[in-house]
Amino acid sequence: MSDSVRTLLILIPGLPLLSAVVTALLGRRVLRHWSHLPTILALGASCAMSLMLLLEVRQPAPDDSTSGSVRFAQVEPLWTWIDVKDAFELNGQSRDFTVEVALRADSLTSVMLVMVTFISTLVAIYAAGYMRGDDGYGRFFAYISLFVFSMTMLVSVSNFVLLYVFWEAVGACSYLLIGFWFQKPSAAAAGKKAFLVNRIGDFGFAIALFLIWTTYGSLDFHGPDGIFGDKLLSGEAAYVGGGVGLAICLLLMVGACGKSAQFPLHVWLPDAMEGPTPVSALIHAATMVTAGVYMVTRCSPLFFASAADPYVVGYGLDAVAISAPMVVAGIGAFTALLAGLIALTQNDLKRVLAYSTVSQLGYMFLSLGTGSLIGITAGMFHLFTHAFFKALLFLGSGSVMHSMGHVIDMRRFGGLRKIMPYTHWTFLVGCLALAGVFPLAGFFSKDAILIEVFVQGHSHSPTAAYYQVLYCVGIVAALLTAFYTFRAFFMTFYGPLRVPAEAGDHAHESPMSMVAPLCILSVFAATVGLLLSSSFGQFLVQTPSLAYVAGQEAAHATGSHHDHHHAHQLVATTSTLVALLGIGLAAFLHLGNRSQAQWLATRWWSAWFYRLSYGKFFFDEIYIVLIVWPLRLVAGFSYLIDRYLIDGIVNLCGAIPPMIGSRLRSTQRGIVQYYAFASIFVLMFFLVAALYFNDFVN
Amino acid sequence: MVAPGDGKKLREGVAMVEYELHLLHNYLIVGALLFGIGTIGFLARRNMIVMFLCVEMMLQGVSLSLVAWGRYHGNWGGQVLVIFILAVAACEAGIALAMFLMLYRRSGNLDMIFWQSLREENQSETVDVEIPEPDEADHQWPILTPAGIEPDHDTEKPLHRSHV
Amino acid sequence: MSDNQTLFAAATVLGALGLWQMLPRARSGIGRVVGPLASLVSLGLFGYLAPRLMLDLNQSDTSMIAGQVIFWLLAAVTVISAAAAVTMRSPVYSAIWFALTLLGSAALLMFQGAQFLAVATIVVYAGAILVTFLFVLMLAQPEGQSHYDRVCWEPLLSACTGAVLIGILTLAMHTSFTGGDVPVVASTAAESSDILTTDHMARLGAELFGRHLIAVEVAGTLLMVALVGAIAITAHGRTGRRKETAGGRRDG
Repeated sequence: MSDSVRTLLILIPGLPLLSAVVTALLGRRVLRHWSHLPTILALGASCAMSLMLLLEVRQPAPDDSTSGSVRFAQVEPLWTWIDVKDAFELNGQSRDFTVEVALRADSLTSVMLVMVTFISTLVAIYAAGYMRGDDGYGRFFAYISLFVFSMTMLVSVSNFVLLYVFWEAVGACSYLLIGFWFQKPSAAAAGKKAFLVNRIGDFGFAIALFLIWTTYGSLDFHGPDGIFGDKLLSGEAAYVGGGVGLAICLLLMVGACGKSAQFPLHVWLPDAMEGPTPVSALIHAATMVTAGVYMVTRCSPLFFASAADPYVVGYGLDAVAISAPMVVAGIGAFTALLAGLIALTQNDLKRVLAYSTVSQLGYMFLSLGTGSLIGITAGMFHLFTHAFFKALLFLGSGSVMHSMGHVIDMRRFGGLRKIMPYTHWTFLVGCLALAGVFPLAGFFSKDAILIEVFVQGHSHSPTAAYYQVLYCVGIVAALLTAFYTFRAFFMTFYGPLRVPAEAGDHAHESPMSMVAPLCILSVFAATVGLLLSSSFGQFLVQTPSLAYVAGQEAAHATGSHHDHHHAHQLVATTSTLVALLGIGLAAFLHLGNRSQAQWLATRWWSAWFYRLSYGKFFFDEIYIVLIVWPLRLVAGFSYLIDRYLIDGIVNLCGAIPPMIGSRLRSTQRGIVQYYAFASIFVLMFFLVAALYFNDFVN
Repeated sequence: MVAPGDGKKLREGVAMVEYELHLLHNYLIVGALLFGIGTIGFLARRNMIVMFLCVEMMLQGVSLSLVAWGRYHGNWGGQVLVIFILAVAACEAGIALAMFLMLYRRSGNLDMIFWQSLREENQSETVDVEIPEPDEADHQWPILTPAGIEPDHDTEKPLHRSHV
Repeated sequence: MSDNQTLFAAATVLGALGLWQMLPRARSGIGRVVGPLASLVSLGLFGYLAPRLMLDLNQSDTSMIAGQVIFWLLAAVTVISAAAAVTMRSPVYSAIWFALTLLGSAALLMFQGAQFLAVATIVVYAGAILVTFLFVLMLAQPEGQSHYDRVCWEPLLSACTGAVLIGILTLAMHTSFTGGDVPVVASTAAESSDILTTDHMARLGAELFGRHLIAVEVAGTLLMVALVGAIAITAHGRTGRRKETAGGRRDG
């Protein structure tokens, strides 16, 4: 059993790596327009193996189950990368800095693996049709395989350092893929922006790692001393709370904000739409941006420890206890609202979907920020379902773009349901799922989140009021989600048929290679919520760290389970009403005559809001003024120093020999007697030196 | 053991030693003087032949010094070396004079100032600022006996040969 | 500095001054007188210094005194003619004075007991080399002298250089001699010397062809190579055109 798990764990990331190497080496010359083949085969195989791994993890051997909850985690070490003995002393005990490349199989990992590989396979099949005829066809698939390798390794590794390595790797792949059409300056700039903003998040993440190392003395997940290892999870050693715990969690959150495009590091995701649509679907909807959520879920014991021992600011009655989950929830809710507001007025179909992704990720963080196990599992479930319907929406928009000749401005086309039926119906399924309409997937996951936030808001803890506010924000964001989603839908597919000039003769339904993944995804988007909503949480809690959280919660429970049923119905009705309201508003403003939206945009009491929303709340401009300009000044100043001061010194040093040379050159006049003078002078010098040397010696 | 006649002999022996020493010293001074005068001449003169003459003078000074050392040490080393110096000086003179002839052929005279092409690029050529006129005393033709017939001194006819 | 050293320095400086004025250049009226005067004074000083290095005149026997006097006469002749050779304005006169220098030097060599070398100097140097010089002079400068014989490169600098060189050399000698650095070789007694024998030539021959045989053969080869080289140099240049004007540096 462990052997098969080991093989699966090695092959799941290994096959995409192999296909990346093969495609990189052979793609240009040998494979050419068959370059998609190694990638699709590898990804398909990975997907199958992820499912097998899932089954293996679901049915642990009887001897692995301990009393009480079922926990399963199997760690397969491959080799040791770094081994520094006695690197650090913690509490009088010296710790080794050892980084072992070890892959981990537990329920969280297997769920992520299944999702990542499945979506990647479908996207790869789609991309084979979408990118056909492109110059960098082979390069594209090599990058895709490389990305899938990095992502699968990210969710499989059992060490923080390796997590960081693959965190960076997915960032690098994202950069490569966003700037895939690098000849376009906007694409190159977008890639650079994505990478740099990610880098800021990575910086926070790195400092968090440093803090973890100095606090806990280990960077492993597993093992007796591991952060989610035996001693800490069994209670033998305690997680650190208070200021240090808060700092660790907040810095981890900074990393997650960078990767998952939360406020204030959300600016890169809309620009990342410059990349090809399959890239947007894969990376910026389903996989890379979820890495932040995954990381926070993985580190939930740390967040829980901060919640159990919050950091108190101020004294006495004014004291405010800050715990990390509160901050996470706040950031998530705020981002959800912000992105929703911006998406209301965007005209670029992919931008709308990008802001929608940011908003949904905000939902996930809001859910993770409730601090309870149900919240965590609800967030992960939303991640899971969101992957399906968001990928579906992106692929659908790609289909639209493909047939409209790469025009994506919604104002330039309309009424496409007549010429693109498959795209139309699958897009509708996706929109309904995103809006959270029963019985599609989005309903169950979003519902679960809102329920948990509501419950937290009505619990007896001191933070209840805070969560009530967040609940209202979540409801408003749901309304906005439904509105802008269906606004985009109606603008694209309804109304009179308009095709832009660039479409040429493309304006027809996409080929089967693109439509098939759409159909498959729509099926999943429709059903996965219904089927998996109950078993998902139970499966996920088998992860040791989550089981720990469950256990701690049960120990400190304040007994509010009976509220859940009540809350269930209330929240379900509220959210459905809100969704239908949003759809109705969208239909009202955009289905018929479009002048209603125009009229609204030009009223004096709403024009300012329109401009604010359309300008993305001017975050880009603020960052340019606050960050980019000062950096440019510093860079310019450094350039001046380098060019004039340092190069000046070097040039000065370089100018000295010619100066000396030109002085000495005047002695070479070509006349023999002058040369004789020189030799006699030297002779005399040596004679005198010999005389005086003798005098000194004697 | 000192014998009665030993005193004079000893004094004589000491005197001989001192004599040899001073002889050596004096010869070295003469050799140095010859060498120094030769140096001055080499550095100052412009005629190729005279320059070479001064080189030979330097060699002669060295020969004197060498022979003096040989005499002082009482062995043949100094003289043998001077013999070889002589032989080498003879070869050197032969080749030098052959070269001077070649140089004369190309420049028409024995002046060293024509051969300065080894100078650096941005140095100017050294030229004569003024050419001193010959003294009256230098142009004195030899006074012949009444039996001899003085040849014509035609100053317009070029005196130097165009080739050798 | 001791008295002797001061006198040495003074003698050297005066001698240099004199030579400087005597070197061929546009002479001023004073220079014509000062030059030879200074040189003579310097020579006198050198001569004055000489007896101070001699032994106590009363003790030595007359042969030694006579020997010293002869030596200084010969040395004076040599040095005066050397100075004259250097400062003459006609190269032919220089050559003649140089011949006199060689004679003086040969006599000095004879005085040292190097009989063969003395004769060889006259035969080879004065007889062969000097005559060849005169040949070339006659061929190249039939009028005997030219404008470039009447100018010098850097008379002052040359005179100073020469003076300093002589000064350093004599100073070095004087310091080491009077400081007692020169090891007194016990075998410097004249009677036990190898050189001062009646069959001087035979011994010299034995030494040359015995100990330095290979060097002698190599010297002979060197002479032949020089001969061939001299002919090759002059033969090579005869293939070009004749150049009438002076100053040509191209292929002649």
